[in-house]
Amino acid sequence: MPLTGKIYDIQGFSVQDGPGIRTTVFLKGCPLRCPWCHSPESQAFYPQLSWISMRCVGTKYCQERCIKACPKQAIKAEGTRIDSLTGEELQLIHVDRTLCDNCGECAKACHPHALYICGEDYTVDDVVKRVLADKSFYEHSGGGATVSGGEALSQLEFTKELLRRLKEEGIHTALDTTGFAPWEAVEAVMPYVDLFLYDLKHMDSERHQATVAVPNERILDNARRIAAAGGKLQVRIPVIPMFNDSEENIRATAAFCKELGDAVTVVQLLPYHNMGVSKYARISDGTVLEATPPSDEKMQQLKGIMEEYGLNVTIH
Amino acid sequence: MVEWKEITPRVAKMRERYRSTTPKLCTARFRLVTDFYKNNLHIAGIMRRALNLKNLFENIPVLVNEDELIVGEQGTSYRASAIYPEFNFGWLVDELINGDPATRETDAYIVSEEDKAYILQEKDFWLQVNLSTMTDANLPEGYKPHVGNGVLMYNAFNNARTPVGHFCADHEKAINVGFGAIKREAEEKMAEIEAMGIMGDTAKQYNFYRAVSIVCDGIITWTKRYGQECARQAAECTDPVRKEELLTMADSLNWIVENPCRTYWEAMQCIYIYHLGMCLDGQQHGISLGRVDQYLGKFYEADIAAGRLTPEKAQELMDLFILKLAEPNKMVQYNPVTIANPGYTSGFLVTMGGVDRDGVDASNPVTYMMLQTAGRMLLHSPPFALRVHKGTPDPLWELAIEVTKRAGGVPTFESDDVIIKALMKRGLPLEVARNYCLIGCVEPAGMAVEWAQPGGDGCESYINLTNAVLLAINDGTNPMPGKDGTVKQHSGLRTGFLYEMETFDEVLEAVKKQVEFFTRWHVANECMWESLAEQFMPLPLVSATFGGCMESGKDVMSGGARYNSTGNSCIGLGNVADSLNIIRYMCYDKKLCTTREFYDAIMANWEGYEELHQIVVNEAPHFGNNIPEADAYIGWIAKIYADSINSSYGPRGRWSAGSYPVTLNTVFGLNTWATPDGRKTGMPLSDGISPVQGMDKSGPLASLNSVLNFDQSDFGNGTLLNMKIHPTALKGEEGLLKLKALMQTYFARGGMEMQLNIIDSDTLREAQEHPEDFRDLVVRVAGFSAYFVEVFKDCQDDLIRRTEMGL
Repeated sequence: MPLTGKIYDIQGFSVQDGPGIRTTVFLKGCPLRCPWCHSPESQAFYPQLSWISMRCVGTKYCQERCIKACPKQAIKAEGTRIDSLTGEELQLIHVDRTLCDNCGECAKACHPHALYICGEDYTVDDVVKRVLADKSFYEHSGGGATVSGGEALSQLEFTKELLRRLKEEGIHTALDTTGFAPWEAVEAVMPYVDLFLYDLKHMDSERHQATVAVPNERILDNARRIAAAGGKLQVRIPVIPMFNDSEENIRATAAFCKELGDAVTVVQLLPYHNMGVSKYARISDGTVLEATPPSDEKMQQLKGIMEEYGLNVTIH
Repeated sequence: MVEWKEITPRVAKMRERYRSTTPKLCTARFRLVTDFYKNNLHIAGIMRRALNLKNLFENIPVLVNEDELIVGEQGTSYRASAIYPEFNFGWLVDELINGDPATRETDAYIVSEEDKAYILQEKDFWLQVNLSTMTDANLPEGYKPHVGNGVLMYNAFNNARTPVGHFCADHEKAINVGFGAIKREAEEKMAEIEAMGIMGDTAKQYNFYRAVSIVCDGIITWTKRYGQECARQAAECTDPVRKEELLTMADSLNWIVENPCRTYWEAMQCIYIYHLGMCLDGQQHGISLGRVDQYLGKFYEADIAAGRLTPEKAQELMDLFILKLAEPNKMVQYNPVTIANPGYTSGFLVTMGGVDRDGVDASNPVTYMMLQTAGRMLLHSPPFALRVHKGTPDPLWELAIEVTKRAGGVPTFESDDVIIKALMKRGLPLEVARNYCLIGCVEPAGMAVEWAQPGGDGCESYINLTNAVLLAINDGTNPMPGKDGTVKQHSGLRTGFLYEMETFDEVLEAVKKQVEFFTRWHVANECMWESLAEQFMPLPLVSATFGGCMESGKDVMSGGARYNSTGNSCIGLGNVADSLNIIRYMCYDKKLCTTREFYDAIMANWEGYEELHQIVVNEAPHFGNNIPEADAYIGWIAKIYADSINSSYGPRGRWSAGSYPVTLNTVFGLNTWATPDGRKTGMPLSDGISPVQGMDKSGPLASLNSVLNFDQSDFGNGTLLNMKIHPTALKGEEGLLKLKALMQTYFARGGMEMQLNIIDSDTLREAQEHPEDFRDLVVRVAGFSAYFVEVFKDCQDDLIRRTEMGL
């Protein structure tokens, strides 16, 4: 059996995940549970049934193929939407998540892919081939491939082999990571990573644990070790209102970045946005806390504070 | 970071006047031409056109509007449209009798009752004596059974608005030599011929030079009349600043056109007067200006060095010059012409940047000023084309991308490398190819030396390849019923029905036969048209400067230009690529249905075949996702079409293939039956060489990789790739660099042209609901940009549907 990884998306012309034009490989599964996560489908390690209402053509047209296909009787007709072209009211469906076991029978029956299984197994060869298809674009832009998640280091063997192969092909590699992994895992991939996109969420470990379900010591420690070993870090701070946007926390984060020295190429402030909110409904009935994105003034203010520490700071 | 210069109050005020004026339909030209034609039945050919134009130049009212620094109008009120009955007329009669142009959904015109009565009073004369009627009457006999096939454009009777203005005259000659010297040159040629004795063909040459001399006189007179009007207004003007301006303008207008221009301002005014003179002659639509930055660069630098001009004043003049190019419009038939080119657009394409004859970057300060104008004025017209190459300076890239973020599709980006190669393939020498400009929509041509017009029957020259596929699998009959609901007669080759074809190769063979069959008829119709247009619509005012004509003694319409070609454009490449692959996938490869079921589904417009339709749309692989099997037929159909066109020739020389639809992909789509790629009856066809709307689901890189599967240098008449990029993909300085890299990669790999709409569909939807709040939102429609709120609804919907790249 060839080595496979669980992947939920591969995105070309990814422009927010490192320098140049990049293709980003998103691995499924993450040990953290950030309430603001804009990719909720990235959290679970197993394949999940997803449903996008805008793709559903209505049960009248497909003759309830999904409802008939479900061995657990988890799908029922429920809710409607208006088709934007014809103005017709379409009968939609609802998946009872307490009954669904993500078997995927309904997805196989759904031609418009309104229902689909999120998270597929890819071999390293599959992914390398897909990344190489866009190689000419990397060359003109100084771009490359980014391996992201979820937490890619949670699928260590696959991630390591993928990065190694990409380096062999002369592709610039970035690893987008929470940093929450044993040092041995980080060390194993280091020879094949040109740049770490490294998230710092909160400097206070208790707040960190209380909010995203894991403490931060290991994360901070790995960052120090990467820096000491000569790795490059692009630090990314998701700016979440009421969580980590206090002056105190921003100053502490800046001080930490400064301590890492030249290893930090840039600090990116990523203002919270609510574009991921609608994605929650695709995979669950759960609701998610919505916040108001930070204002431009607020972002500029935080940027100013961090710049006091001599850091190169950008807002995305 | 780009710094936008301020817009002066004068420019702001004039822009507002431009945006808030509903044009009138003016009969001044119509009355003069009617009188001239009726009273001069004994004058024919080039002499008729020359004397008719001279009569216009001498008698059409001159109008200098408040605040103007660049002048020229074709009518008696600001932005009025003239009427050009010599070309086509029936549609106007129909529209005046059956409706009121003031109530059109887009491009309304105000017509007074008195003018309407006069136009209708003269209808019997003009309905006989117009080029369109004559072209219709000369349709080849053998073609008539094929009318209604939907593949060819030729079914818009009464609508030959031709010669099509897709050309660029030699403005450098007008600016630097002047019509006084050109007239002397013509007279010397006449004297030479007289000395030899007017024998044989020299009679034609003699008349050509005589016509040139007449129109030179005409345009000099017209310009001086503007000078007199400025002097008259100056005498009455109480504002000393305006008075001074008017006196300067009067002085210039008395000098220029006849004599070589002395300043940047004069050169601009000269370009405008010459341009508008050609419009007044009647070809208006799509007359192109060429490399304006190249003409003006040396005047700008000399004026700055001499202290006659400041960069601020130069920018204001550029703003006013471009605004002046935005103003002219020509009322044309509402359906299909106006709905294909909405927004009072005349499409006076200007070209900027690129390499010089030695291959070195030719951009100059005027290039930047033009882009500043485009980015600040937010005009949908004139269209701007920016030539880019390996040596294009970074600041120019940066400014151009900032402009395109503000105004959709402005400028279009044109790759020197690919275009120069394509032009050399059709016979231009390297230096001439390097001096190309874009004409019409996106068509490259050797500037002012290559007469590369599209053919002119119907309107311009288009082939709907999608219908060729439908005819190929339906035994040569177009399944789209006629307007009265009747089934169309068989009109193509009898290639059999899909359900009779046992192998996929038979399908390919049938499509190839239909494409070649209709290309032949298309060329035949165009050649017939051109032989008439040469007799009835020569263009002495264009030929006076156009490279080769004064040497050969022949008009451009008679092949007098140094180089010649005829442009064509195909529509629906993406639909054909998908249709072929999907027929293969569904019926022959995966055998998911029989050919009979598939045929029945298409003929039923997919009704009752919902499951099959879903499989076709969602599960069969589509062109545009970098899947080799799905991209296999784009190269195939592109080559069949291009070989067929490129091996054809007209009276002046060879044809040249292209793929740009303006918005005809939407208009043709309305009249095209359901297609094998899952498209339903009436939906738009694919746009230029872009994949089918919404079917390129794998992001912009995959889409470009797919598109690059055919050789664009075989498409010398231009290709069009419309990319829609979500604004979030371009945030910050880095986004800009990435977009530049995206284009550079595409061009390095053989891409010819790219235009961008950087906007999200939510904004477009909002603009559709609240047009009053989005009055200045400029989007790229296809061959041109338009104010989104002014294009008709189907076209707005098509724009919204296009893939949102980068999300």
